Amino acid sequence: MYNLFFQNLNSKVQLTEEEQEQIKTYLTLKKLRKKQYLLQEGDVCKVIAFVEKGALRAYSVDENSNEHIIQFGLEGWTISDLYSFLTGEPATYNIDALEDSELVIISKSAHEELLQTMPKYETFTRLNITGAYLAMQRRLTSIISASVEERYQDFINLYPHIAQRVPQHMIASYMGLTPETLSRIRKRISSK
Amino acid sequence: MQTIAIIGASGNMGSAISRGLAKGNYRLLLCANDLDKVQTVADEIKSSHPGAEVAVSDCSRDASWEADIIIAVVPYAAEQEVAEKIKDVANQKIVISIANPLNDTYDGLVTAPETSAAEELQKLLPNAKVVKAFNTTFAADFATPVIDGKQADAFVAGDDQEALQTVVELVETVGFNPIVAGGLSVSGTLERMQLLLIQLNMKNGYNWLAGWKILHH
Repeated sequence: MYNLFFQNLNSKVQLTEEEQEQIKTYLTLKKLRKKQYLLQEGDVCKVIAFVEKGALRAYSVDENSNEHIIQFGLEGWTISDLYSFLTGEPATYNIDALEDSELVIISKSAHEELLQTMPKYETFTRLNITGAYLAMQRRLTSIISASVEERYQDFINLYPHIAQRVPQHMIASYMGLTPETLSRIRKRISSK
Repeated sequence: MQTIAIIGASGNMGSAISRGLAKGNYRLLLCANDLDKVQTVADEIKSSHPGAEVAVSDCSRDASWEADIIIAVVPYAAEQEVAEKIKDVANQKIVISIANPLNDTYDGLVTAPETSAAEELQKLLPNAKVVKAFNTTFAADFATPVIDGKQADAFVAGDDQEALQTVVELVETVGFNPIVAGGLSVSGTLERMQLLLIQLNMKNGYNWLAGWKILHH
């Protein structure tokens, strides 16, 4: 139920049994069935979710009802609308489950209390946010300067497990391409 | 959309609460040991509220795991057993205690004077946000929240402000007039109010359709 969560935590900051038990009291365990929402646009995001099992996506919807996937969340990852979580403003993302999923959720109040009371949790949070920042910078650079082929290749190399689990049209959405364009790119790559 | 698990949804009170909440924008997870019986309740809700999202389960632990809010519609005597099953998955979640710890002859409570069914449940689920609600209204009141032209009051007690607000919204959805009575320690008073109402009901023949109303200017 929270094995992966504590594995992840312990890989960054080694916790004592006692600290682990203390953190447990703050955690909300939640199951989502496929297609259920963790967050809907317009609501304030009050949680950070760690994916213990399953897969989720965060996406925005434009004026023409097109979905743009911002982030995937697979086992071992966290997913949230951090902007809304940190500012308290309404979320611009939707987050839903692509598969039946099991989450370990930290609410905003639990998060703030843990930050105050447990230095190791603060370190863990800093490392997580650093990682998220690096990933975002990498993604931004790639969107600005790489060719679509390179971007697709990078994506496959970096996240092979996502490519295997998530339908192609969602990968296209994540890359900002139409499914047709992505399909042409894949053909071109495979014929090389 | 929040998911509400109603544990004990096939009984009189459980099905009444479920039907009442089906009017709101919630996903209901009806839970009972007898899956056929609870499916009947779910089917009934779907036919009267075609837009309602309703699912059934015979596992209180799985239902609570899926839920954001848990309503324990179980007698006081069964609280401990349910609490043991759902303990870790109820962490940080709102758990509504509706139980009135009446004795077998309905003339007293089995809990000690300084405590209540709700406070005992909080002890069993130390990391949950226990809220007392729906204990001063009879099952029939849910179908008729306005009695003799007056909307019945429904009292809510708990220590977590955000949880109280959420439960107030549930009470409004069902159709009662919510009154926040205070912290969880007020639960004993609320449970005794229902003891009195039950005694008056039997004495005066209210036919189990009665409620409390605070008169004020």
